[in-house]
Amino acid sequence: MSRTDESRAAARARRKADRIRESHADDLPRSLQPSMAVRVVTVAALTIVLIYFLFPIYWAIIASTKTPSQMTSGNGMWFSVGLADLPGAVAANYAKLLGWTRGQFWRWVLNSLLYSGISALIGTLVAVMAGYATAKFDFRGRNAAIAVIMGCMLMPAALLTIPQYSIFHAMHLTNTMLSIIIPCCVSPFGFFLGRVYAQTSVPDELIEAAHIDGAGEARIFFTIVLRILAPAMVTIFLFLFVATWNNFLLPLMMISSDSLKPVTLGLYGMVSLATFTDRGALMMGALLGVLPVIILFLGLQRYWQAGLAAGAVKG
Amino acid sequence: MMSFNKRLLAAMAAVSALSMGLAGCGSSPNDASEGSSDGVVTITYMHRLPDSEGMTLVDDIVAKWNKEHPDIQIKATKFDGKAAEMIKKLETDVKSGEAPDLAQVGYAELPEVFTKGMLQDVSEYAEQYKDHYASGPYGLVQVDGKAYGLPQDTGPLVYFYNKAEFAKLGITEVPKTASEFIDAAGKAAAAGKYIMSYQSDEAGNMLSGLAGASGGWYRVKGDSWVVDTETDGSAAVADFYQQLLDAKAVTTNPRWDPSFDASIKDGKLIGTVAAAWEAPLFMTSSGGTGSGEWQVAQLGDWFGNAGKTGPDGGSAVAVLKNSKHPKEAMEFLDWFNTQVPDLVSQGLVPAAVTEDAETPTEWAEFFGDQDIMKEFKDANNNMGGFTYMPGFSAVVATMNETAAKASDGSGKVADVFSEAQKTSVDTLRNLGLSVAD
Amino acid sequence: MSAMHTANRGTGRGAGSRRSQAAKRANRTGWAFMAPFGLLFALVFILPILWAVYSSFFRQVTVGGGAYGGGELVDKFVGLQNFRYVVTSQAFWAGTGRVLLYTLIQVPVMIVAALVLAMLLDSFIVKRVTGFRLGYFLPYAIPGVVASIIWVFLYNGQISPIVKGLSALGVNVDFFADNIVIASMANITTWTFTGYNMLIFLAALQAIPHDLYEAARIDGASGLQIAWHIKLPNVRAAALLAMLLSIVGTIQLFNEPQVMAISDPSISKSYTPMMMALNTSQGTLTPGGDGPASAIAIVMALIAGVLAAVYALVERKVNDR
Repeated sequence: MSRTDESRAAARARRKADRIRESHADDLPRSLQPSMAVRVVTVAALTIVLIYFLFPIYWAIIASTKTPSQMTSGNGMWFSVGLADLPGAVAANYAKLLGWTRGQFWRWVLNSLLYSGISALIGTLVAVMAGYATAKFDFRGRNAAIAVIMGCMLMPAALLTIPQYSIFHAMHLTNTMLSIIIPCCVSPFGFFLGRVYAQTSVPDELIEAAHIDGAGEARIFFTIVLRILAPAMVTIFLFLFVATWNNFLLPLMMISSDSLKPVTLGLYGMVSLATFTDRGALMMGALLGVLPVIILFLGLQRYWQAGLAAGAVKG
Repeated sequence: MMSFNKRLLAAMAAVSALSMGLAGCGSSPNDASEGSSDGVVTITYMHRLPDSEGMTLVDDIVAKWNKEHPDIQIKATKFDGKAAEMIKKLETDVKSGEAPDLAQVGYAELPEVFTKGMLQDVSEYAEQYKDHYASGPYGLVQVDGKAYGLPQDTGPLVYFYNKAEFAKLGITEVPKTASEFIDAAGKAAAAGKYIMSYQSDEAGNMLSGLAGASGGWYRVKGDSWVVDTETDGSAAVADFYQQLLDAKAVTTNPRWDPSFDASIKDGKLIGTVAAAWEAPLFMTSSGGTGSGEWQVAQLGDWFGNAGKTGPDGGSAVAVLKNSKHPKEAMEFLDWFNTQVPDLVSQGLVPAAVTEDAETPTEWAEFFGDQDIMKEFKDANNNMGGFTYMPGFSAVVATMNETAAKASDGSGKVADVFSEAQKTSVDTLRNLGLSVAD
Repeated sequence: MSAMHTANRGTGRGAGSRRSQAAKRANRTGWAFMAPFGLLFALVFILPILWAVYSSFFRQVTVGGGAYGGGELVDKFVGLQNFRYVVTSQAFWAGTGRVLLYTLIQVPVMIVAALVLAMLLDSFIVKRVTGFRLGYFLPYAIPGVVASIIWVFLYNGQISPIVKGLSALGVNVDFFADNIVIASMANITTWTFTGYNMLIFLAALQAIPHDLYEAARIDGASGLQIAWHIKLPNVRAAALLAMLLSIVGTIQLFNEPQVMAISDPSISKSYTPMMMALNTSQGTLTPGGDGPASAIAIVMALIAGVLAAVYALVERKVNDR
């Protein structure tokens, strides 16, 4: 069964499950019909867990409207000003955020987007190429390459940051965009996923047929294989994107120019300043800074969930 | 499937095109000055001054200079983060030749920065500016008799207290001796008030300064270091704070934690040792609580210091190794470091003696119409000498950690000084420097 | 199957030469596809590893004598001295122990929580799950540093409505207390990554063919029985992989303690091996510099390797049974 068939099957299965859940729950056999009590307890438990996951975000939203003194006094669960004054409070903290970040805040968000976007893009492509190579071609040194890369998958990559810094420094690449992009676009886990997907969803027959039609290897890869692997690539892309977006140690070491900081480093710089007090403005920065990732996730939800399903089964 | 692929590819292409374009212009090096063809010298200057609301911003001060000196243009950049992080950055920038011409370096870090090979000998230019600065700080910018920059500000330790609250407790004046102080602190604590704070996150800088009031820790003898961090002064400091901690008559909130601010806001903390440069930060921390009632006083004889005080912080601006225009850099630096009112607005006690620093009105309002700049100056003139050793940042780190253990009772304040001794000797030896036994 | 380019093509006349030609072609094409990743991999992984090993034999010291040295640090070959320093350093082993303890508690809690949530969402007990699914997953979009900043405020006695609320109920908690702070950290990691792991498990669960359930139902199996006998075995592979990757992730614990240290000075510069490596390279720990920092990284990588190997062996043993 090919990868696409499989993920389609997974999607079908999920739709079916949703359908059963949402419309036919009452038709289930007696033995499976959950009692009212079970249902209420489960929903209550799930809701409590939901509150745990969402509460910090809710609190951050509330806090982002507060002045330093409102932050420590008064009710942490609700706005310190009336709803009518809220826009003013938001505007004030936004102005403070831009002040503390010397107007660089959106530049930092853009940097984060660039670092994550470019490295995820390059990283996905090279990982899928390498995965395809090891899955479909018996080249010399293949097994050694696989062993080395998989070994590095289990290595705490952060430990490499310091030597990476030294090497990039010797190449005069520190404090440039490349010093973030290059390390972030290499992911042994991405390679692993690419290999699993290529192994399981690219049918040999298809490639064989393309060969008979006289297609070159490059053309086969870029026109046929990549298309088959597209949902899987979304998964790898998002994985790399988030990994880069979240990376903090690497920019902490590599980047020193204000204009090159990603938003994580910029916000950390703010808190680590001993003299920093405007925690409400900081919360606003934190929220605005993660917005792009949330939008990306929600926007691509349909695709990466399919890829995730495939990866989870094979992984 | 098809439409999805197309959309995906289009999106990826758009992202990559955008990013490639921007990546090209990404790098913005702080290149050490390159004189351009028209004879204009560009000097880069990295600082970590507070630069916050209500202050005269560094960029504005620099703009004044740039307007008057078309031939020497200054580019100032602010570094966000800790001193150690800034030094690490400068260290690598010096190695790769991308370092700024001028950088803010704390007096405590200067020997370390020298040892790491980051500084340029500018004695020949410094000499003519010597009279602009107090001799103590001027000497702290020297290593082995050679000058590496000019002093900017000093951080004498003083005592902030709320006079009205003191009066309410029946404490009519700041206690003069340690035992008087501890008595008063006990009395205050019984009323839920605290007249001293124990700040573990500032221990390395503050406790070394307090101990240093009665004598330094590091001496050079021949080519070797003589290290003694467990002086009588250190013992007195340890004893003083230990008694307060044991009596629960001192707050233990770290200085830069919101809990410290809260302790002033809710009126619990009504007195503390502070560095002079803390004045505006302290005002922010207080949120206005007790405005008009606060006062600045000199340290009493609490640590066997015979009325003397010690240094906490204070910075020089140094000329870094690869600066190609040390003469112009020093010319600007002397001008910058003598812009007394502007520096005062940044919360600094300027090292310059070219004019008297005036207390800004806002500060005077908070500190009960007191001329606090005069108090700071007095403290400055009354400061014990303290030589810092190379690698002192490691000592500070150890002291802070050890101090934190004393605040929750799992350690003693005296450990702070014994750990400092061990770390000092290790650090010097690890740097390949000799330590006299 | 994977090697079909070489295996299946040599039929008929001149099979031998054809086969070797095909092998050559597979060799060339394979490496061509491998090359971009391979080059980057060499630059980002292999070269730094080699460099770390090399530099770990050196220390940065002054030369030229005098109390301050000659104003320059040079690399001095010190043999295995850096390694001796690391393995005899109390701080290093304390940090390693802390991280192992953290891993031992945090990873199983997170994986089990993620599994339970996934199972509940996949059961037919609850009708509308989309909201729960997204809500649980949302923290994953928040970078570790930012999550740590938010939680540090939520742990803070002056700011946090949690601490204030609990103290109003008469429960006084100090999330920064010495023996609690590590749990506070683990909570941040759990908060961030549980939803992600849950989604992976959910995806694995939903890929289970529904015929299996129907068959089980006809046999009269209860919901719990289905969960235990059909669902759990099917997410096992995913769970084991997630567990392994989480272990590797927690070994490099850095963001949470680094941010929490701002509010809690008792979190030392060597709280975790990763922090120790960074602070060593910055010179806030002695001996400082890249040499000792590399030695710390290498010893830590070896420990991680041993752990991963042990885990893999145990997993195989358990699987075989």
